[in-house]
Amino acid sequence: MSESSKIHVPDMPLGRLIRMPGGKTSGQAIADAEQGLASLQGESMKELNRVLAKAETFYARADGKFDALVVSAFYDLINGAIGLPTAGKDRAIDTMLVSLADLLDYYRSSGDWGDKSVQVHLATFQLLLKTEGIRDLQGTELILAGLRKVSRKAAKG
Amino acid sequence: MGFSSDPRARFNLEQVSILLLEETPLGMSILVQVMNGFGARKLQRCDSVAKAESVVRETELDLLIVDAMASGGGYDFVHWLRNSGIRPNCYAPVLLTAAHTPAAAVTNARDCGAHIVMAKPLTPKAVLDRIVWVARTGRRFVESDKFVGPDRRFKDAGVPEKVGIGRRREDAVPGKGEG
Repeated sequence: MSESSKIHVPDMPLGRLIRMPGGKTSGQAIADAEQGLASLQGESMKELNRVLAKAETFYARADGKFDALVVSAFYDLINGAIGLPTAGKDRAIDTMLVSLADLLDYYRSSGDWGDKSVQVHLATFQLLLKTEGIRDLQGTELILAGLRKVSRKAAKG
Repeated sequence: MGFSSDPRARFNLEQVSILLLEETPLGMSILVQVMNGFGARKLQRCDSVAKAESVVRETELDLLIVDAMASGGGYDFVHWLRNSGIRPNCYAPVLLTAAHTPAAAVTNARDCGAHIVMAKPLTPKAVLDRIVWVARTGRRFVESDKFVGPDRRFKDAGVPEKVGIGRRREDAVPGKGEG
């Protein structure tokens, strides 16, 4: 049996429109976008504090053992928060969130639960939120590298 | 990938009709701030797949920025778009954004028919580079029983201009001898 297929190059107006006279230089556009993101900083921190509070509730509800519904909701919460810290230019919190999402995705598919691994992520989340803007860069990098090790070790079993 | 990074390069998004699909209000605000900063004016904001499908039916679009979403609904939306037969929107470039891609969704992300998948967190520079790259690259489109979307086999950089005299790609790379 042969599969029917068609290959063509469709017209793409984007290629023409983007070259129209006027517009911005990419340097100016990036600066303007960053300025717009800075206006969301307060909202972003408020949302991250809400996410942390909810994450701690899920952790307490798991009560030291695997619970499929809790882990799934916990994963969705963290997954939805990735990218929000960027509005406040806080890549360290994003790195922590990605590490926690990796961990929860592994638990979700394996049925395991590592209480201490989750706990250390939440403690770091709290620390990063409290020290926002006054953090030591090198120390933060070390903490985040430690978290990545925790996620990788948990995934290896 | 060989994206443009010259800060003096000009581009214009004022007349570009853009659909944004993002279910979280703050996530949408981030996208809107970035696109407004780029000078985009024609933004269609959609907080659900149903709303996005309705916009696709009613409005001619030049670019779509779609979040994968926790439910994976973003992948399904792009798959629907590609198979919808709604011209010219079904061929429009799609940038898919994804927070965390679970192991189970990697195939979905690859096969849904997006031009590019971008991992969050998004930075303005990364978003702009990818928009410009997609606009400048006329990707071939494949329509088959199993897949509809831009050709997944493409080169991110060809032989450098005015250097590629030889027959093979390696001919243009300094320091590579005959082999």
